Amino acid sequence: MKKMFGTLAGAALLAAVGTSPAAAQDYPYRDITTAVVWGAGGGTDTINRMIMAEMEKHLPVSINVINQTGGVAGSNGMVYVMNQPDDGYTLVGLSESNVTAAVQGGWDKKFDYWYPFIVGGSPDLISVPANSPYSTLAELVEAAKAAPGSIPAAASGAGSIHHLNLLAIEKGAGVTFKFVPYKGSAPGQEAAIAGEVALVVTSLAEQAPLIAGGELKPLAMLTPETAEIAGMTVPSAFDLYDGLDAYLPLKQAIGFAVHNSASDDVKATLTEAFNAAMAGEAVAEWAAANNYDIGGQSGPEAQALFETLEANFAYTLQDLGVATVDPASLGIEKP
Amino acid sequence: MEFVLSQLAGFGGAFAALVVDPLTYVYLVTSVFLGITFGALPGLTATLAVTILTGFFGNKIPLDYSLIALLGAYVGAIYGGSYPSILLNIPGTAASAATAMDGHPLAKAGRGGEALGLTTTASFIGTLIGTFALLVFVWALLLVSKNIASPEKALLALFGILLSGTLMSEDLVIKGWIAGLIGLAMAMVGMDPLLSEPRYTFGWSYMMSGFQVVPVLMGAFAVPQIIEGLRHADVGKLVQFRDRIVPNLATVRRYLPTITRSGVIGTGVGALPGVGEDVAGWVSYGVGKTVSKDGKNFGKGSVEGLLSAETANNACIGGALIPLLVLGIPGSPPAAALMGAFKINNVIPGPTIDPAIILRVVAILVLASFTMFLMGLFTARVFIRILRIPQTVFLPVVMVLTTIGSFSVGGGINDLYLMLGVGFVAYFMNMLAFPIAPLVIGVILGGLFDETFRRSLFLSDGDLSVFVSRPGAAILLALNVALILSQIPFVQRAFGRLKRRTA
Repeated sequence: MKKMFGTLAGAALLAAVGTSPAAAQDYPYRDITTAVVWGAGGGTDTINRMIMAEMEKHLPVSINVINQTGGVAGSNGMVYVMNQPDDGYTLVGLSESNVTAAVQGGWDKKFDYWYPFIVGGSPDLISVPANSPYSTLAELVEAAKAAPGSIPAAASGAGSIHHLNLLAIEKGAGVTFKFVPYKGSAPGQEAAIAGEVALVVTSLAEQAPLIAGGELKPLAMLTPETAEIAGMTVPSAFDLYDGLDAYLPLKQAIGFAVHNSASDDVKATLTEAFNAAMAGEAVAEWAAANNYDIGGQSGPEAQALFETLEANFAYTLQDLGVATVDPASLGIEKP
Repeated sequence: MEFVLSQLAGFGGAFAALVVDPLTYVYLVTSVFLGITFGALPGLTATLAVTILTGFFGNKIPLDYSLIALLGAYVGAIYGGSYPSILLNIPGTAASAATAMDGHPLAKAGRGGEALGLTTTASFIGTLIGTFALLVFVWALLLVSKNIASPEKALLALFGILLSGTLMSEDLVIKGWIAGLIGLAMAMVGMDPLLSEPRYTFGWSYMMSGFQVVPVLMGAFAVPQIIEGLRHADVGKLVQFRDRIVPNLATVRRYLPTITRSGVIGTGVGALPGVGEDVAGWVSYGVGKTVSKDGKNFGKGSVEGLLSAETANNACIGGALIPLLVLGIPGSPPAAALMGAFKINNVIPGPTIDPAIILRVVAILVLASFTMFLMGLFTARVFIRILRIPQTVFLPVVMVLTTIGSFSVGGGINDLYLMLGVGFVAYFMNMLAFPIAPLVIGVILGGLFDETFRRSLFLSDGDLSVFVSRPGAAILLALNVALILSQIPFVQRAFGRLKRRTA
């Protein structure tokens, strides 16, 4: 008994000596957990598992990735991490779609509750079924001008990033389509292949296998840049319509975040590991293979990006009449 | 032909990948063992085995491995039900009810070992027939399914719910339909998929994401069985047998036509949405009784009767997976549980499913049927010993497993209240002879029906003619109408008169 006490005391002493000189620099001394708010196998989950594995190489500890799904716009997972201490040992894996959780009543925080890190996102594009009569965006827009509001367009659920992109191209090109909501990108693309809708707006990463398989015909990227896929060059919609830059690009922002209230040391350590991982070869290769654009923003820069997204999403949802909470009451300013 | 060959080549690749992975065997042997145990214990069904494993493994391990566990348990449980059918005259699962008809008389005549050997072989061949059909037909159907749009999907979902209600009812067909409609209503809870409006949530945020499939499955299938089992905890009298459990190859060869016919019937029944192994067993048994020269001996210990039932219920597995993988419509109640496992892994079965998953499913089924065959021949005596465990011991264990399974998928206490609530409702529905499977099929297909039906109308600006103007939709609508009309007494009498007049 006495011996054990001695051992314990010795261990405690050692630990004290080891930690006392610069307690703050010791983050992280135990494993970190990242709770992804979307399901396993989805884009946000895949990206988090990839980046966490890379960041591990630059940290002395392991990072476990778990999934905490459900709620409204991923609110379950965000509430779960919010309820954990802000010591940097619990991170949240999230995406741009989570900014709507507050106005949809999932939780009551503005998005600046988080200190985000953006790994990247895949650019949206507008595509039509392979056997569609339209082979350029101009033809499609012309047809829509001739019959406003009658050409069915798929773009995930109301208020999703893809829906906002569809709204933006409608405003920019001065047309209206008949927006048909689907539960996600995959069913929307399926509907386009089946000929149920005339066009679909989802991300390049999601459409890539279908474009390569000849099921979908890409018309235009909704980014200023063109894209190369399956031996084709997809033109940018920006070259066709001048006014587009007022509304676009609205890009996915997938990554993770720590409590904004976390200490500066925690933020610095994470940022260092994040930057080192993002600079690595593995991330670049992964992004190229999966049609993702690399982000790499963190901290205030990423917060500013999310603030724009939050304002955009929140007021669009309010306009659509699906926001249950007034964005102004949360302190979200009109864009 | 070239197409079949390329499928076989793809299957070969998937099979090889599976065989060289040592982890495969860990999951496979464990899950087949568990499956047979569940099947062998009266009151525990194949659906329950797959459901509980979905809760446990669904999103904890990679989908590749959870598929091994789920399919292994599925194959094992359908086969395992034959033990108590033969030895106790109590079907271990509803799927092997027809097996008891001839299996038990055989056992009483001292041929128990032979009967078990035959069911093992029949189950093995049956599984392979179903699996082969899955490999070939899934691709043929996938080509067609690319043209299936919302109106067809809506009508197919409705057909699945109605058909399951029609065939699963014990007495009145309307009871099956009522159960299906209750499930349909439950599927309406949550965020509306089209307009993002909350429906029937009563301002409760838990309800926003709707009723989760796994707790509903657990509540509907597990809880009533546990209550029922604990109320009537009696163990039947085990028939002893002295002969060895070996597959009688001469008998198998002699009855090969019967086995092939039953395999095809089983696969076909399995492919019908929401109709499971029990119906397959009975239909095949009925057909066998009608067409066989030996028909008058069915029920008195006919080997042919035994083979008819036992081949068909295992062949049903492959059949049930065809509509699941191609259309996202489960072909049987265990397949519905399997669909839950796909969904929580974010794999949406349907036209755009990754073909590699289908090949892997086929490879797993083949390997699982081999495992089942070997286990059946060499360790059957272990499983027979399990039959002596009193239900008062294993049912509480199952209840604990069920609860953990329900909880672990979503990680919320509300899921447990949901499971218990559904469980008690399901128990009383069982007592009133309302079938429970249509309710679960309703919950699973209801969301699909609601979304696709309303989207069809949305696209057509409310014009109902979309359901007849498309050829596929028109056929499906006709099937739905025919199904309903065929159950109305007035129409049945009219048809009867018409038949007599032409005859």
